[in-house]
Amino acid sequence: MSTALKDLIRNPTIAELEIVARFAALKADARRERLFEAFAQTGLPGRRIEGWRWTDFKAAVTSLDVLKASPARDPLAREGVATLRFTPAGYTAPATLPSGLKLLAKDDVQAMGGAEEAPLGALAAALSGGKTPGTLLVDVSAGAPVHLHMVFEGPGAINAARIVFLLRPGAELHVSESHLGGAALSIALVEFTLNKGARLHRTVYQIGGASEAQAVTALIEQDAGAESVLTTLAFGAKVARLETRLVHRETGSKATINAAYLAGAGLQADITTHVRHGAPSCVTRQLTKGAVLDGGRGVFQGKFHVPRTSGQQTDASMQHNALLLEEGAEVFAKPELEILADDVQCAHGNTSGALDAAQLFYLRQRGIPLTQARAMLTEAFIAQALEGAGDLEDALRAEAQAWLNHAA
Amino acid sequence: MLKIENLTATVGEGEDAKTILNGLSLAVPTGEVHAIMGPNGAGKSTLSYVLTGREGYAVTGGSATLNGADILALEPEARAAAGLFLSFQYPVEIPGVPVMTFVRTAMNAQRKARGETEISAPDFIKKSREIAKVLSLDPEMLKRPVNVGFSGGEKKRLEIYQMMMLEPRFMVLDETDSGLDIDALRTVAEGVNALRAPDRGMLVITHYQRLLDYIKPDKVHVLAKGRIVKTGGPELAHRLEAEGYDGVLAEAV
Repeated sequence: MSTALKDLIRNPTIAELEIVARFAALKADARRERLFEAFAQTGLPGRRIEGWRWTDFKAAVTSLDVLKASPARDPLAREGVATLRFTPAGYTAPATLPSGLKLLAKDDVQAMGGAEEAPLGALAAALSGGKTPGTLLVDVSAGAPVHLHMVFEGPGAINAARIVFLLRPGAELHVSESHLGGAALSIALVEFTLNKGARLHRTVYQIGGASEAQAVTALIEQDAGAESVLTTLAFGAKVARLETRLVHRETGSKATINAAYLAGAGLQADITTHVRHGAPSCVTRQLTKGAVLDGGRGVFQGKFHVPRTSGQQTDASMQHNALLLEEGAEVFAKPELEILADDVQCAHGNTSGALDAAQLFYLRQRGIPLTQARAMLTEAFIAQALEGAGDLEDALRAEAQAWLNHAA
Repeated sequence: MLKIENLTATVGEGEDAKTILNGLSLAVPTGEVHAIMGPNGAGKSTLSYVLTGREGYAVTGGSATLNGADILALEPEARAAAGLFLSFQYPVEIPGVPVMTFVRTAMNAQRKARGETEISAPDFIKKSREIAKVLSLDPEMLKRPVNVGFSGGEKKRLEIYQMMMLEPRFMVLDETDSGLDIDALRTVAEGVNALRAPDRGMLVITHYQRLLDYIKPDKVHVLAKGRIVKTGGPELAHRLEAEGYDGVLAEAV
């Protein structure tokens, strides 16, 4: 490895040196190098970096050993839905794909906009390749709705994957993703371009172990009249970051961004979003609900950016509500509205607290035992955030329910 | 039979603790309906909460038994399984939990605690439909979240619906008449009267005599300053209405 490479990251940790070595072993590529440099500016992001104060990958990723954890079950697996599987050993795709969907595995790496703002997304892009494609392009054409499922799982040291979707004008894609961990570091970058009038339904399920780090970065760009409905259920990991960066770049684009997180002892779940209203008359609806147990940590960071000229007639709302189910639970929230335009409707709300004592007593007076009453109220509390998942809502709710009954 | 002997209880903690029940004694034999009347601040609602085990109230002396079993030592859910039901003065909204789901969960939890088998879905729905009809409840309402967006009258009728579904051994009705117009009051009272039975007791807590025109009590007790100060027949309620609490209480002391 060249000296220049080794010196890219200042005071590297052992894990970062391993990451550098892995990068050096990949086929040289100018775009890959630029992406790695974008990552190297911060290295594994940690508490000294703005936006990573509560989600410290540098401290959490101490080594990149292969984990021996048993694989997590995939609650979103369905018969008859084309499934792409991404593991450290490579990727697999079904022999036949639904009509309207084309897959193009590119050896070389494609450029990525805003790499500096998403260091772990940049790292996923820089490390994908070798046994997996440098970039997997998925082309979705107009016609009947296209359904696709993607699974990301170990075992291995690093699982890095990058998928780039192009939704042609009028196309409709229903994509589900199960991020099941199983590697010491799982990093996925998923990009979506929604052409005029395209519709995206994206449902994400994330679960990870207490010695794993996971980052799922989504970059979404929407043209005129495009609409996305995003739903996430996250159970966290030692550190888990689910980051969505969305740009309304033409008039009349609409996004619904919902997420629920449930973090148990020793686990952390971070929901971070950044929405730019780069065109007039665009709509964003964001709802995040969380529940955390003793020793668990939830993080919500949401930002709406509404520029002065392009952001007029923006209609946007952001809501985050967290339940601290036990003493010792932690929730950190940072909702931000940066509004420079004057003709907009923007609202936000942020709450965190315990379950309502009056509600608990009402349930118990009817004979429902305390633990069951807590689970019922918590499930009801987060349910609204999962309503957008359509056919997959029941599967997500069942996972949340199982967790609540087990946790209580 | 519900038997309360020399019960004292405080609300609040530490130096802020305030004695609300102050040596209250009362017995409601199985099969009877008793009313408790009293001025504001007498301890009427506190009595209902102490009996059902709400947090924030501390029993400092005395006893309460239902059919011979000490209920004060039990968790609220165990008291419910033992057959104690409180119709709340202010029913609580439970967003996200449909009425039917809530009541079925409660019913099966009680049955499980008593070692009985769960009710089947068809049996539950049949029973629910019959009771909704008696109470003139819109079946659509039972699919909506508990009490969310319900009017005051709807909330009270839903309390009676739950009571009829769960068939408790002993019922405490806390100011069930408050917030009801005369038609709703009549419907609610019909539901309550339908539950009168030789194996069931009832304690009706009210501020006004009006409710007792529809639910005729066997006995009327007057509660003041945390104790029962006077007991009589239904005519006592009419005297309170005519003479006011001050008049009757002055005589009692």
